[in-house]
Amino acid sequence: MALRQPKTPNVSLGAPTTPFSRWRRCIIAIIGLSILLGAMVPLATAIGSVHIPFLTTASIIFSRLPLVNIEPTWPSILETIILDIRLPRVILAGMVGAALSVAGATYQGLFRNPLADPYLIGVAQGAALGAVIGFLLPAGWGGFGFSVIPLFALIGALGAVSIVSVLARTGRMLSVTKLILAGVALGALLSAGVSYLIIMSGEKIHGIIFWLMGSFSLSQWSEVRITLPAIAVGVTIIMIYARSLNLIQLGEEQAQQLGVSVEKLKIVLLGAATLITAAAVSFVGIIGFLGIIIPHIVRLIWGPDYRFLLPLSVLAGGVFLIGADIAARTIMAPTEIPVGIFTAACGAPFFLYLLKRRTKILF
Amino acid sequence: MVELKTQGVTLAYGNKKVVEDITFQVMPGEIVGIVGPNGSGKSTIIKALSRIIAPHSGRVLINDRDISRIPRKELALLVGVVPQNPLLPSAFTAFDIVLMGRNPHLGLFQYEGPRDIEITWQAMKQTSTQDLAERRISELSGGEIQCVVIARVLAQETEAILLDEPTANLDISRQIEILDLIKGLCQKNKLAVAMALHDLNLAVHYCDRLLLINKGRVHTEGAPAEVITTQNLEEVYGSGNYIIAHPLSGLPVVLPRVGDSKNSGSHRR
Repeated sequence: MALRQPKTPNVSLGAPTTPFSRWRRCIIAIIGLSILLGAMVPLATAIGSVHIPFLTTASIIFSRLPLVNIEPTWPSILETIILDIRLPRVILAGMVGAALSVAGATYQGLFRNPLADPYLIGVAQGAALGAVIGFLLPAGWGGFGFSVIPLFALIGALGAVSIVSVLARTGRMLSVTKLILAGVALGALLSAGVSYLIIMSGEKIHGIIFWLMGSFSLSQWSEVRITLPAIAVGVTIIMIYARSLNLIQLGEEQAQQLGVSVEKLKIVLLGAATLITAAAVSFVGIIGFLGIIIPHIVRLIWGPDYRFLLPLSVLAGGVFLIGADIAARTIMAPTEIPVGIFTAACGAPFFLYLLKRRTKILF
Repeated sequence: MVELKTQGVTLAYGNKKVVEDITFQVMPGEIVGIVGPNGSGKSTIIKALSRIIAPHSGRVLINDRDISRIPRKELALLVGVVPQNPLLPSAFTAFDIVLMGRNPHLGLFQYEGPRDIEITWQAMKQTSTQDLAERRISELSGGEIQCVVIARVLAQETEAILLDEPTANLDISRQIEILDLIKGLCQKNKLAVAMALHDLNLAVHYCDRLLLINKGRVHTEGAPAEVITTQNLEEVYGSGNYIIAHPLSGLPVVLPRVGDSKNSGSHRR
């Protein structure tokens, strides 16, 4: 890089080059991480209890893309394993990793609080309560053809955030501090409910605990089809407002004086971040740590500008969670470990390393 | 060109009235200084002029349009603000902060273009902050941050500028440098400038008119020499000030009569 960098034009000539080298570095990182994510998908799909060569896996996946024509040279059973069992799981893991990372970055930015994570204002606790109630209902309850657990988790998540938002409102203003405090308090209340129900749950306790720790073991295309649009819409909305997220770091008054409609921004961003968090949590349970750690890792390496922080978080979160899921299902195969254990076990040491190596915390 | 006006504005935090029945105007090409003791409501007036707080009664007008009906973004194209002791996110660079001044000029799907970069760079040169461009805010002093924020308001290219204690963190030569810059831009570009100041001597020398505020009400309004008189200062600040004529400008200069406050008992001369 340093070798082929062109000579910097003389600054006094009035041709500022100031932000460009930083911006270029971020754009290169976005391209690099995109390629890595693209390679991770076939790689993660190739790994599993039945060994399938990487090239075969890649061919099977790419043969399904439009405009690609590859003659099948593989048994159809492999195609079933790849396309119907492993691929939805890998895609779901990538989406959830992206969603939680972007939601975490958004909450941190909106609340101007480095400790904010996607579950700060009660989404996780609400989803957990909903899911546990779903677990405790008799099987086939309500006559739905599908599992009611994601539906209940979604209702719980959105319900909790709605209550917190109503509590944090004064007139037309939404107080960020009140939002955090109300979220923490309501979260504690809901957690108490979850704990009580777990104690009372009898032989269903194993399923509940497994869900609470987060897992992709039940991933299917039907889940991808529901979560993908929700996450895509939410992430797009947040990215559109990336510059406003930068401005809100100046505080609400200065942001307003620079032309940001702060109250509108809060509602839009909270809505979008909650939507994608709820969509992620409802289908795969509570995967902790990712939402807080990925944005900070990105900040430490590439800086605080949300216009780059958000896409980089999407990519890094996707790569990271796909990787963690590979570990979760292979290390103790055939037994699966909840993926949440791996996000913490791999993420925390790496983050601590970065924290120690960098002299300044970038927030 | 922009003309700022307040008509009988009363401002309150909750039920506590901070500013009552203030009427004044700022014309294009004019600097109006808002002076008065601590807690007299200077900053609150600045906030009302930028629609951070809504008047309890009365109206704030820009070119005879009620400010409360102007969308934030449009308002940010008309009025730029330098807040008192601005808090800035420590991880951003000075250049990033000044570039944020371009926000009202950009659409939702737009990135800053070469023109925005150029304007930002010019604003940094004018405020002598170009050497700070790639430094992070956490590495800057209070005075440097103040200049960065002034650069930001220049990059915003508004026709009215509000400044709340713009010289509070600056050394004596930077104070003059910044105020000369603002005065020059004000006259050249016919900006309407309102500025809250503690330093009466700077206010006298840089403002075309002064608004002396006491306990939330206008005490005196007029040319600096008419406002800064021994009698007015005695009524507003209490005794303990001494006015002489500046040897060069002939304008009034306020000197504190050292050791003459209510706390001066033992060391009083």
